Formats: sequence, structure tokens, C-alpha cells
Amino acid sequence: MIIIGENIHVIAKDVSVAIRERNAKVIQGLAKEQTGAKANYIDINVGPMKKDTEETMKWLVNCVQEATDLPLSVDTMNPVAMEAGVKFCKKRPLINSASGKTDSKAQMLPLAKKYNCDVVISVMTDKGMPPEVESKIDSIMETVSYANELGIPNEAVWVDPIILPVSTAGEGQKIAVGNLEFIKILQEVIPGVKSTVGLSNVSNGVPAHLRPILNRTYLVMLGRNGLYSAIADPLDEELMAFMQGELPKITDLIYRTMDGEEINLSPLSQKEVAYVKTARVLMAQSLYSDAWLEI
Amino acid sequence: MDYKEPKETYAGVVREVTIGKGGKALKVGGENILPLHFFDGGSLPNPPRFALEVLDMEPADKTPHLIEPFGDVLSDPIKWAKKCEGFGVDAICLSLVSTDPAEKDTPSEVAAQLVKRMVSEIKKPLIVYGSGDEKKDAELLPKVAQVCAGENLLLGPVQKENFEVVGKAILDNGHVAIAQSPLDINLLKELNVKLCKFLPPERVVIDPLSSALGYGIEYSFSLIERVKQIGVMTKDSMTMMPIIANLGDECWKTKQAKENKTQGLLWEGITAISLYLAGANILVLRHPETLKSIKETIGR
Repeated sequence: MIIIGENIHVIAKDVSVAIRERNAKVIQGLAKEQTGAKANYIDINVGPMKKDTEETMKWLVNCVQEATDLPLSVDTMNPVAMEAGVKFCKKRPLINSASGKTDSKAQMLPLAKKYNCDVVISVMTDKGMPPEVESKIDSIMETVSYANELGIPNEAVWVDPIILPVSTAGEGQKIAVGNLEFIKILQEVIPGVKSTVGLSNVSNGVPAHLRPILNRTYLVMLGRNGLYSAIADPLDEELMAFMQGELPKITDLIYRTMDGEEINLSPLSQKEVAYVKTARVLMAQSLYSDAWLEI
Repeated sequence: MDYKEPKETYAGVVREVTIGKGGKALKVGGENILPLHFFDGGSLPNPPRFALEVLDMEPADKTPHLIEPFGDVLSDPIKWAKKCEGFGVDAICLSLVSTDPAEKDTPSEVAAQLVKRMVSEIKKPLIVYGSGDEKKDAELLPKVAQVCAGENLLLGPVQKENFEVVGKAILDNGHVAIAQSPLDINLLKELNVKLCKFLPPERVVIDPLSSALGYGIEYSFSLIERVKQIGVMTKDSMTMMPIIANLGDECWKTKQAKENKTQGLLWEGITAISLYLAGANILVLRHPETLKSIKETIGR
């Protein structure tokens, strides 16, 4: 699994202050930490970035590249900021992200061709987020074939099905299950494409101390179904341990839960039980509530 | 070829909960079918139960067609409750609205004594709603629970902010909890999980909040429907509780209900019948004529 380290994110206050004050130390510290934790890419999420776009992106990209040899994922919806960012990348970067929206097709996707980058393409369209697995597939096929026409091969495309919070009443669990299905069939539908997800969104809105187990379990499940990469927190040691195959017993329990097996919880450790319960919730076998581990 | 009826049977059973004691005891819930799926394999041992709401103070709303059936008893909650018994209710629902700090902030002890008197004077089981203010209720509801110990009141609302103290008083004094959460199935389940760590689930009734026709009834409808489906079909223990739809007050707040009598009765009646169809086990109404017409409609 390719892990795109998510920690340089403008929503984090220390990051936004560091960018504004050109404090290289903070940014480089985050880059080094994530590199040391075996991330494969460093995501640079700058949000919409309306002011001093060119100059800021140049500083930021160079700043990170001084601290790490890893390739960068330039994360913004603003095509001007995107171009400013990818221009200064030494290694083949990842454009994060484009979508099936008209603006994005016109302004973002051509950058992937122009700068010979990989590009994340989400299932979003002008109509918003397609609600069902089938409509997501329809939408992504259309956008990827548009990318092909621009000269971007499937191999350079990282498809993003858009992860939403599992805790959203009514729909959250259904969408979580749907995205597992989407990742499972993606290769058959569009051979050669890669895939990625914004993993931590699955636990958005959930009490902070309960988020990691949801993120980890969901990543193991997505990985089983063929997910290529995830934007995630490489500083979560247990998450990385799963990805290195260091937790085979729990991984197996999660897989068996996915297969619908009624697992006998009594011989399991507390931690193993927690993972089985979390997998059950993510498979919508049991109704979500913030108290899912307490039942 | 023989025709075989497509008959479903389900794994889950809504818990049968008893409120009131002795000769007053009333059972609710207990079904292992979806609402009105009488054609499926299972049973509905208890019909829907109807309560009329009584306030602990003279209502500020003087809509003539709403207060007319009660004549001169509106300033006396006990007489009001007795009058309601004459309209053929299964239970009385006393709302302690005056205890709300935003109303009269009636002391908890005073309110609890009223509940005690009402229990002793009426022949039907009693449902008691507190102020709805989670802080006041944390003091008021335990007081009511203690003063009426052993009466098996259906008492609430127990909310996520006060479930520990109120739930404990309900447990210690032999009552049933109304677990209330704001129109969200995940929050509803969470509250039940936490409450049922110390309170037996047979002593919990779910109040998902009931919105009136035109004011969000679709949210209440689909939520009640979903609670029933998850409970009966997937056997989710923490949603297998009876549901109370406290809808009368919500309906009579609307301008449509206040406008004229026919419209008011229809507003409350259609809201009630809709939530019954969704799966509510107890329906709390305000107007006796609504009660009458609903009972005729359901035909029991």
C-alpha cells in the first residue's frame, strides 16, 4: 500500500501559521517525521490558496523537498496553485485532485499531461457526488476516458471514490460498504488505473480517541479489495504495522468479518474484539453508534 | 403448481415493556413483525396504546377548539386527567411544563407531589415528561422517581446529558425510562447502549422525537421505520425497544392546527396515523376527538 502522508495540511493551525510566517522548521519537521515513518509520498494540502499563490507554493514545495527525497502530492482545488506547485517538483508528483466537474476537466486535468504527472481523479461530477456504486463507476469511466483523450494513460490515474463519514446517520455505513465494492470491481472496469482514498474522512465526526481504529480497520478492508494507496497518517504506528503485514491475526479476523463469519469473541483479546466490532460496523452488519465498542 | 405464500419471519423481537402496576399495568411492544405486516410469520401481542396529554399548569395556548373539550378543568391537572380517562385512553401523559426554568421554574418537590397525587387518583398508568431542560430534569426526574417509588411510571426524557443520574433514579425506584435523542438513529442507539449498561433494556422506551405533519414528519417517520427494521429484521438488541411518539403538542403548535377545528383534528390525526404506520407503540395526543377518530380508523 502506498501511503501518502497527510500531515502537512493547512487546516492544522501550526501548519497554516508556519506557511504564513515562512517557518521552514515546522514544515520540514513534519516532512521528516513522515519520511521516517515510511510514508511513500508527502501530501501538501494548501486548501484554496487565494493569496501570493505562486510565491507561496514555490517556497513550500522547495521547503519540503529540502527535507525529504519522497515525491509530493500537491493537494489543492485551485488550478493556479496546482500548477505553481507541480512546476517546482523534482520528482514526478501527484496532482491531488481532479474530478469529473467541468472546471476540473478544463483546468486541472491538462496539467497532468503538461507536467507529466500522476493525477487523482475523484468520482465527483457537476451534479455532485454520485450516490450509488454504479453511478460512481459510470462517472469515473467517463472522466478517465476524457483523461485518455488528453493523452493521460490509465496508469497515471489514481481513482478516488470519495470516502464519507461512517457516522453519518442513515447513509454513512451504506456508503462505506459501497466504496469497498467500488474498489473491488475497479480493476475489472478500468484496467490499469490506480486508486486512492482520503482515509481519515471515514472517521470524521467520531470522538477523537475512537478515530484511529476506524481508519486502520477500513484501510485493511480496502487493501484486501485492491486499494493501491491512501492519504493517511503514517505516524499512526499501528496503521503502518498493518500495512507492513505485522498484524496477521487481526488482519485475518477483519477479513473473516468481511466474509460474514460470526466470529466467537470470547477467546479473543480485548484489542482483537475491538477490531472485529469495528469491521462489523464498517460492513454495516451492526448499526453504527459512537458506542460501538461498548456493546 | 401450488401457490406458496411469501411469508417472512424475523429474528428480532421488540421487548415487551410493562408500565404502571397492579390492576393498572399496561403492556406495550412485544411484536416480532414489522408494523402492520400481519401477513408475515409473527405476532403483535399488544395493540398501539394511546395517551392524552395533561399539562401541570393552565395552558398558555387558548385555541378555543383545543381547550373546549376540557371545559373548566384546565387549571386542575388531576381533574383534567380524570376527564381524559373518560375519553377512553390507555394511559395519561403528564407534562411537567411548568418546571421549565423558562416557564415557572416550579420546584421539583412540588412537581413530584403532583405526580404522586395523580398516580393515586387515576386508574390508568402514568407517563411523565419533565421540563425538557436537561439540567432541571437531572434534578426533577430523580425527585419524581423517588417520591413515586415503585409506581412503574414511564418517565423521561432521559437524554445523553443526564442519563446517568436520571437512569440511576429510574433503576433504583422501579420505573421505565423514556430515552430521548434528537432525530438520529446513531445517537439513539448510543444512548441506549450507555443506558442499558446499568438499566435492563426491558425498562427502556425510545422517544425519537416526533415532528408534526408539514414540520418534518418525514424525518420522524423514516427514523421510527428504521428503528423497527433494524430491531426486528437485524435483531439489533439496542433498537428492540417500544417507541413512544409524543406528537400532540407538536401538532397543536402549528398554525394550521390552530386555524380551525377540522384542520386541527386532521393535522393531529394524520400525524398520529402516520407515525403509527411507521411503527410507534405509544401515541400521545392532545385532543380527545383525534383519539376517537384514530381508534375508529384503526378499527379496534
